[in-house]
Amino acid sequence: MGYQLSKEKMESIFKTLQETHDIYAPVVKKGDGTFSEVDVVRYDKVTSLDEIEWNKKSDYSFKEALLSINETLFYFTEDETTVPKGPTKDLLIFLRACDMHALKRLDQIYLDNKFGDFYYQRVRARAKFCLMGCEHSCDSGYCVAMGTNKADDYDLYLKLDGDKALVDAKNEDFVAIFNEESKLDVTPDYVTENKQKVSIPKNLSKATKDNPIWEEYGSRCIGCGRCNFVCPTCTCFTMQDIFYKDNPKVGERRRVWASCQIDGYSQIAGGFEFRKSQADRIRFKVMHKHYDFEKRFGYSMCVGCGRCDDVCPEYISHAAILNRLAKEEG
Amino acid sequence: MKNEYVPFPSEIKEVIKHTNLEYTFRMEFDGDVKPGQFFEISIPKYGEAPISVSGIADGLVDFTIRRVGKVTDEVFENYVGDKLLIRGPYGNGFDIDNFKGKEVVIIGGGTGVSPMRGVIQYFAANPKDAISTTLIAGFKSPEDVLFKADFERWSKTINVIKTVDAAPEGYEGPVGMVTKYIPDLKFKDPKNAVFICVGPPIMIKFTIQEIKKLGIEDEQIWTSYERKMCCGVGKCGHCKMDDKYVCLDGPVFNYTEAKELFD
Amino acid sequence: MSLDINTKKAKKHAWRISKERGIGASRIRVPGGYLDAEVLGMVQKIAREYGNGYVHLTTRQGFEIEGIHLEDMDKVNELLQPIIEKVGINQNPEDKDNANGYSASGTRNVSACIGNNVCPFANYNTSELARRIDKEIFPNDLHFKVACTGCANDCAKVRMHDFGIIGMTMPQYDPDRCISCNACVKGCTSLSVSALRMENYKIVRDTEKCIGCGVCVTKCPTRAWTRSEKKYYKLTIMGRTGKKNPRLGKDFLVWADEENIVKIIKNTYKFVEEYISPNAPARKEHIGYIIDRVGFEKFKEFALKDVELMPETIMNNNVYWEGIHFDNKH
Repeated sequence: MGYQLSKEKMESIFKTLQETHDIYAPVVKKGDGTFSEVDVVRYDKVTSLDEIEWNKKSDYSFKEALLSINETLFYFTEDETTVPKGPTKDLLIFLRACDMHALKRLDQIYLDNKFGDFYYQRVRARAKFCLMGCEHSCDSGYCVAMGTNKADDYDLYLKLDGDKALVDAKNEDFVAIFNEESKLDVTPDYVTENKQKVSIPKNLSKATKDNPIWEEYGSRCIGCGRCNFVCPTCTCFTMQDIFYKDNPKVGERRRVWASCQIDGYSQIAGGFEFRKSQADRIRFKVMHKHYDFEKRFGYSMCVGCGRCDDVCPEYISHAAILNRLAKEEG
Repeated sequence: MKNEYVPFPSEIKEVIKHTNLEYTFRMEFDGDVKPGQFFEISIPKYGEAPISVSGIADGLVDFTIRRVGKVTDEVFENYVGDKLLIRGPYGNGFDIDNFKGKEVVIIGGGTGVSPMRGVIQYFAANPKDAISTTLIAGFKSPEDVLFKADFERWSKTINVIKTVDAAPEGYEGPVGMVTKYIPDLKFKDPKNAVFICVGPPIMIKFTIQEIKKLGIEDEQIWTSYERKMCCGVGKCGHCKMDDKYVCLDGPVFNYTEAKELFD
Repeated sequence: MSLDINTKKAKKHAWRISKERGIGASRIRVPGGYLDAEVLGMVQKIAREYGNGYVHLTTRQGFEIEGIHLEDMDKVNELLQPIIEKVGINQNPEDKDNANGYSASGTRNVSACIGNNVCPFANYNTSELARRIDKEIFPNDLHFKVACTGCANDCAKVRMHDFGIIGMTMPQYDPDRCISCNACVKGCTSLSVSALRMENYKIVRDTEKCIGCGVCVTKCPTRAWTRSEKKYYKLTIMGRTGKKNPRLGKDFLVWADEENIVKIIKNTYKFVEEYISPNAPARKEHIGYIIDRVGFEKFKEFALKDVELMPETIMNNNVYWEGIHFDNKH
C-alpha cells in the first residue's frame, strides 16, 4: 500500500520504529576510507533519516547487518558451552534492489543448503527490509544484465522527495503504522539501463578453467580479498578459537568472514593448499559467481552491484572479465 | 533450528599408537555413522579439524589422526578418560550396499586407509557379502604402516597386499607403489568389479589410470576427497569444489562425479 | 651605457645576479609547490619576452627565469605581480603596491611533497600546511628552511631542513571488523617498522615502534584500520646541508599538532634574532650552529614559549645530531 506523508512525520515514525527495531542503513564514515581524507560508505545503526546516505551506493554491502564480521558462536569453559543471545529487537535494513536479490543468495546458502544456520536464521527471522530506489544507475553496477535491477519482495519502500516522504508498505506491521497517512500509488524507482554494459557468459564449463584470462588477471591480483568483503553475496567464513590470556581453559569460538582470494583459504592441515596461485583463486571466484552456484541452485550468484570493481586496488574489473569470457567462451 | 556448530563432549576410551605420528582414538559416540563420514574434532583454545571415521563399533567411533597442524598436535596430549569436543557425523560416507555382491578392490595410500577401514572391516567380517575382496594398501615405509594388527586379521578372510614405497634392506614384504599391483588383478567378471580408492591426489591419479587399463568403467570406481572441511554443514565455503560441497555432497564420490570436480 | 643596479636590493627581492655581466634571473618561489597551471603560461610569457626562453625548476620548488637583462627588472617585476598573487606568496604591502617583486632571501620557500591531494600514502595536505606556514613566517630574512612531507617516506627530504614536518596518523583499530588476514602485519613489516603482530587472531600494535605512517590503514581490506580524525605530525629539527657540518634532522616532537608546530617555528625566529652570530655573513647562520653554540636547553626555552603540547605528544628533551664534520678535520 502506497502513502505520501511529510518528511517530518516520516521522521517521527522513524523514531517510533526504533523502540522495536534496530535500523541499519548506509552511512558516510568521514575519513574512514583507505586513503587520507577519503570517506567510506558502510552500514551502521542509524537514528534519523538524515544520517542515511541516500545517493551513493554503499562501498560495503548490507550483509554485515545480518552477518557480523566476527560472530561468537559460543563461549566455552572446560566442560560447558554457552551460546550468546540473539537480537533483542527486530532489524530494519535499508538496501537497494541489487541487495534484495543478494539477500536471496544469502538465504540460499544459510537457510537452504541442506543444513540451516542457527545464527543467521535467528537474525534473519527478525529482519525486515526497506528498499531504497535507484533513480539513476551507479557507474559500475550492471544489475540490468543480471536481472537484479528491480525488487518486489521488500517490506517497505521509502523515498524522500524534498520535504515529502513516499512510502510503499508491504509488510502488515508497516501497513498498520502508515494507515492514517494519505494514500498514493508509489512504485519504487529502478533503473532499466546501466552505464556498465556487461554480456553474461552463458557457456562456461570445466574447460573455462584453461582460459589464459586467469593467468593474466592472476598476475595483477594482490590477493587482498576486498572484492569478497564488499560483495553482498560472499558468505564464506573461517572458525577461530580464542582462549583468554588470564585463563586459557576459557574462551570462545568465533566465525570470521573469509576470502577465497587470501592465502590459507584452501589450505589443509599439513600445509597443502589446493589453490595457491591468484589465477586459480580469481577463476574460483568468477566461476562460483557465474557458473557453479547456478549449476547447483539454478541462478547466478552475482547480482551485478559492481562493488568489487569499485574497491579493487589493482583495478581488476569483474565486469571486464565477464565481457571477455562472454566473447571468448560464448 | 538445531545449532550445528556447538560440539558435544566425547570420552576417549582407548588410544592405539600406529606410528610416532599416527594414533587412533577410540571414542564414545551413540548414533548412526557410516565409514567415510567425518567429525569435526575440537580442542577448546585451539580449533577444529575434520577427521574421518576410521572404525565403528557399538557406541564407539575411531578417529585415526595424523599429527599435522596445530589442532591435531593437541589431540595427542589427550589420553584415555579425557574428553574431546566433537560434532558430526558429516558427509555422505560409503554405502556398503554399493559394494555387496561385487568383486571389491580397495586401494589406499597412507592415512587414506582410514576412511575405508570401516568398509574393509565389513568385508573382512562378512567375506561372503562380496564375490571377492582385495585390499591394496600402500605406505611410505615400514615405519609408516597403520593398522598393523588389523592387517594380520584381515588377511585371514580377504586378499591383502600391504606394500611400502621403499624399505630398508632385508624387509620381507612387498615393496613398490600400489599401482604396481593393479595390472595383476584378476576378475571373474570385470563388469562386476568395484574399486574404492583413497589417498593423496597424485596416488589417486595414477591408480585410476591403471584401473582404467583393466577396462573398468568410471561408475565402478569410488573415491573420497580430502578438502578443507571447516563448518561441515555447507556454509563456510572452504571445501567447495565446482558445484559440490565436499562436506555435504562428499567426501565420497563416484568417479563419474569426482572426475568432473575441480578445485 | 653602463648599468647602475642596486644588487643588494635586487638579491633581497628574489633576483639572481648571474655570472654573465648585465644578465640576471628572476626567481619565483611556489609555496608548497602547488600552483594553478595558468601560472605556467605566465612564466612562459616572461621567459620568452624578457629571458632566453628557458626556465630552471629550482630545488626548492620555484621557477628561475634565466637570461633576463637587468635593465628589464622593473618590467619583469610588473609581470611577476599577478604570479606572486596567484601562487600565494606573502608579500610586503609596499612591494605589492609598487609591483616591486617580493622580498626574499633568508627564509627559503616552504616546500612540500605532493601530499594527500594525490598520493595514497600521504597523511595530510602538505601544500596547504606549507602555504599556511608561508603566511606565518614570510617575508623574513633569517635563514630558515622548512619543508612538509606527507608520510614517513619523506619524499620531500624534510630531514635536511631546519624544520621537517612529517605527516602521521594514529591508526584506529576496530577488532570487530578485523578478519585476521594479516595484510597490515605484512605491510608494516615489508614497508615500515614491524610494529604490528597478531595475537589471538587480533592485531597488537607496538605503540613504541609505530611511526604513524598509515600503511596498516591502506592495506586493510575491511576498514578495521582507519585514520585518526586528528592529524598528527612528527617535527624533525636542524637537518642541514652546507660546507661545514651537514646532518640529518632528528625527531623533536612525535604525535604533535599543527598549531604547536607553527608556534615553535615562529618562536625559533626570536631565538635566532637573539643569538645569531654578529659575524654571520649576510646575517645567515644555520640555526643548528646557533643551537650548538648556546645549547639545546636555551633553544627549547624559546621554542616552547606558549606551547602546550597535547598529552599524546612525545617530546625528545635532548637531541643529539650526528653528521659529517668537514670543519673538524685536521
